[in-house]
Amino acid sequence: MNSYYEASARERLRLLLDPGTFHEFLPPSERVASPHLLQLDTPAAFDDGIIVGKGLLDGRAVLAAAQEGGFMGGAVGEVHGAKLVGLLERARDERPAAVLLLVESGGVRLHEANAGLIGVSEIMRAVLALRSAGVPVIVLDGGQFGCFGGMGIVARLCDAIVMSEEGRLGLSGPEVIETTCGVEEFDSRDRALVWRTVGGKHRYLLGEADALVADDAAAFRQAAIDLLDTKPDLSLEALTAEHERLGGRLERFGACRDALDIWSALGIAAPEKLPLLEADAFRAAVAGKRA
Amino acid sequence: MRDWNIQARSRQARLARASSLAKGKEIGAADVAALLEAVLEPGDRVCLEGNNQKQADFLARALADLDPEKIHDLHMVQSVLALPEHIDVFERGVASKLDFSFSGPQAGRLAKLVGAHRIKIGAIHTYLELFGRYFVDLTPRVALVCAQAADRAGNLYTGPNTEDTPVIVEATAFKSGIVIAQVNEIVETLPRVDIPGGWVDFIVQSPKPHFIEPLFTRDPAQISEIQVLMAMMAIKGIYAEYGVDRLNHGIGFDTAAIELILPTYAQSLGLKGKICRHWALNPHPALIPAIEAGFVESVHSFGSELGMEAYIRARPDIFFTGADGSMRSNRAMCQAAGHYACDLFIGSTLQIDLAGNSSTATLGRIAGFGGAPNMGADARGRRHASPAWLKAGREARAGRNLIPRGQKLVVQMVETFREHMQPAFVERLDAWELAETANMDLPPVMIYGEDVSHILTEEGIANLLLCRTDEEREQAIRGVAGYTPVGLGRDKAMVENLRDRGIIRRPEDLGIDKRDATRDLLAARSVKDLVRASGGLYDPPKRFRNW
Repeated sequence: MNSYYEASARERLRLLLDPGTFHEFLPPSERVASPHLLQLDTPAAFDDGIIVGKGLLDGRAVLAAAQEGGFMGGAVGEVHGAKLVGLLERARDERPAAVLLLVESGGVRLHEANAGLIGVSEIMRAVLALRSAGVPVIVLDGGQFGCFGGMGIVARLCDAIVMSEEGRLGLSGPEVIETTCGVEEFDSRDRALVWRTVGGKHRYLLGEADALVADDAAAFRQAAIDLLDTKPDLSLEALTAEHERLGGRLERFGACRDALDIWSALGIAAPEKLPLLEADAFRAAVAGKRA
Repeated sequence: MRDWNIQARSRQARLARASSLAKGKEIGAADVAALLEAVLEPGDRVCLEGNNQKQADFLARALADLDPEKIHDLHMVQSVLALPEHIDVFERGVASKLDFSFSGPQAGRLAKLVGAHRIKIGAIHTYLELFGRYFVDLTPRVALVCAQAADRAGNLYTGPNTEDTPVIVEATAFKSGIVIAQVNEIVETLPRVDIPGGWVDFIVQSPKPHFIEPLFTRDPAQISEIQVLMAMMAIKGIYAEYGVDRLNHGIGFDTAAIELILPTYAQSLGLKGKICRHWALNPHPALIPAIEAGFVESVHSFGSELGMEAYIRARPDIFFTGADGSMRSNRAMCQAAGHYACDLFIGSTLQIDLAGNSSTATLGRIAGFGGAPNMGADARGRRHASPAWLKAGREARAGRNLIPRGQKLVVQMVETFREHMQPAFVERLDAWELAETANMDLPPVMIYGEDVSHILTEEGIANLLLCRTDEEREQAIRGVAGYTPVGLGRDKAMVENLRDRGIIRRPEDLGIDKRDATRDLLAARSVKDLVRASGGLYDPPKRFRNW
C-alpha cells in the first residue's frame, strides 16, 4: 500500500496514472519559476509547486495537475495559477476523458497575493467553462496540507471530489479561524476537532465529497476511474434543486455546535465511533444517511 | 537529658493545629489554604510532587497563594518544576531555597529568578540522587502528593502514573513528616492500594483532575528518512553487534525510529528473540508494533503514558500491572533498573564536544538533568555479566594492562545539524558559559564523554571504546561530525585510518544501502497506524489525532 498522504505530487501522479504514460508540460527543466519570489529573495521551485501534464487513466486520455504541498504549502502564485489555467484551457481543445486535479494547497500565495488571487479567479472561470463544454473535472484531496482558501472554492466548483479521511477541505483553514475568531471558537491544535470539522469523513457525510477512500494511492486511482463517466446535470432545474438542498442543509444543521451533533442528527448510531473506522467500514456504517 | 523525640512532637503539634479542619482524613477543597497554614512553619523543607508527568497542581496553586507574611522561606525539594506555580512559590516569597532535578518547561523563569537572587539553589540532581537525599539530608517535613483516588482511611490509588509518589511518601511518613494528598476522587473501595493509608495524614479532593503531560508520544509521521537511516545503523551496527537485550531508550524521534523498525528491519536481519527483549522504558506508543511482533518480553516503566491504559491492561505479560489490571510504575525503581540492569542507553542530545561530553544546556535556561545521566552512565558498581557488557568491556580494555571488567553501552545519537542548522558538534559546550553566568560549581554535562561508548550520526558510528588516545577520540568524533565546522576540521588521513580499524563505520561499511532508508520501513507511519497495530486499544490524546 502506498500512502497518498505521504507521497509527493510527482509520486501521486506516477501512482495514479497508467504506468509510464505521464507526460509533463513545462517540466522543471524549463525553469518556469516565480518571478515574484526571486525579487523577494525567497527560494523558488523550478515547477512553481505544480506539475501539469497528460497521461492515460485506465487506458483513457486525461489531463492532470498535482500541487506540491512541500513547496509553500501548495500555495497558488502567478506561474502556479497560470499553469493550471493553461491545462484547463488545453482540455477544452483536446477533449480528454477528464481533468484530474490532485489538490494540496493552503490557498493564495501571500508573497504574490494579487497575482495569486487573479490566478485563482481565472482557474474558477476555466473550470466552469470546461464543465459546460462537457469535460468532467475530478478533484482528489488527500494530501498533508489539505485544500483551503481559493483552492477550496475551486474544488467545490468541480464535478466530483474524492477524499481520504486524512484529506481536508474548507475555505478558511483552522489556524486562520483561530487567529481571527479566537481559540474558544476553534482550537486549531485540537487535531481531532480539526479533522472531524474539515476532514474527509465529515465532507463525505455532508455530501461535499463524492467518494471517501482509504489513504492508498491505488484506492484514489480506482475512485478516479469510477468517476470518469460522470455526466453532470447542469440544467437550471438541477442547479435550483442543488440550491434548495444546500438551503435545507443549513436549516437542518445550522444550530449544531460540533460535527458530532450533525452526525447524530443524520441518524448515525454511535457517531463518536466514526473517526476510528477504516474507510470500508465507515462507508458501510453511514450508507443511506448522508446529508 | 536530651529530648529524642522533637520531630514527632512537632508533628503532633501541627496535626493538632489542623484537627478542626479535617473530617477524619478528609479536607474540603476550600480549606486547603487553612490546612497548609496550620501544618507548615517558616523554613520547613517541603516536597511538592512535581513529577515528570503527573502534577499535584491543586496543592501547588494553594501553596503559591499562601500569605508570605505567615509562611515563608520554605525549602522546596522536588524532582520536576513543570508548572508555573512551581516558580510562583518563589516569586511570591513563600519559598526561597530549591533542590531539584529537572525544570524543562520552567527553565527560563528559573534562570531569571536565580539571577535576581530570589531562589537559592541547593543543588541540581539526577532523579536517583535527589531521591537518595530524601533519605539522607533532604527529608521533607511536609509532602504534598498526588493520586488518582483515595478511600476514607487515606489509602491511595495512584493509577498507572505512580511515578515518584512511593519514594516521597516513604521518606516523609517514616521521619515524622506530614503527608497531604490531592486526589481526583474519594471512593469507598479502591481498585488497589498503592500507598497505605497509615502513611497519609490528609486527603483532599481536587476540583479538577490532576494534570498529566503525555511526554512520550512521538508521532511517526514526523520521523524523517535520515532518522530511519540512523535507526538502521543503531540496530545493525550496535544492537546486533553486541547482542543488546536489556536497554533503555531516551525520548525522541531518533529512538522512536528504532522502535518502529524492529518489526521490519531487525526482523529481516533475523534478530527477533536476540535483541531488545527487556526494557526499562515508559510505555512508548511507538513500541506497540514491536510488542505485537513478539520482539518484547518485558517493560518496566518510570511513569505511564496517556492513552496507553487499555493497551497495557491487555498486555500484562509485558508490563507491570496490579491485581486490578492497571499499570504500576515507579520512577525510583525504574531508574535503578535502568542504571544497573540495562546493557545499553541510547538517546539524543543538543551538543557534543571533542571529548564526547554532551549537554542539553542552553544559555538563559537552567533545565537540570532528570534521569538521563543515571541511564547514560557506566554503572561502575555493576558486577553481573552479560555478553553485551563483557564485549564492551573487552573493547575498552584490549591491549591495556587492566583487570577484566564489563562496560555499559552508552550511545549518543544525533544528526550532525539540529534545528535551525545549529551544529550538534562544538569545540566548547554552551554549558561552560551557563555555569559561569549562573554561578554553578560545574558545567551541567548530561552525559560525560568518559561514559559514552558510541556516537551515531547520519555519517556513521564512532566507537569510542576502541580509541586509545585523546587524539584518536577527537578524530573519531570529528570523523562522524559531517559538514559541521568540527567535522570539517578533521585530519583526513587519521580518519581514514580509524575507519580501516573499524573505529569509524560508515553505513556502507555496515552493509547498509542508504537507498533502503525510507519511511516504508516504519511499522507505523502515523498515530493511527499505532492504533491499528494495537487492535484499537491505544487511545491517543486529541492533539495526536488526525481523525
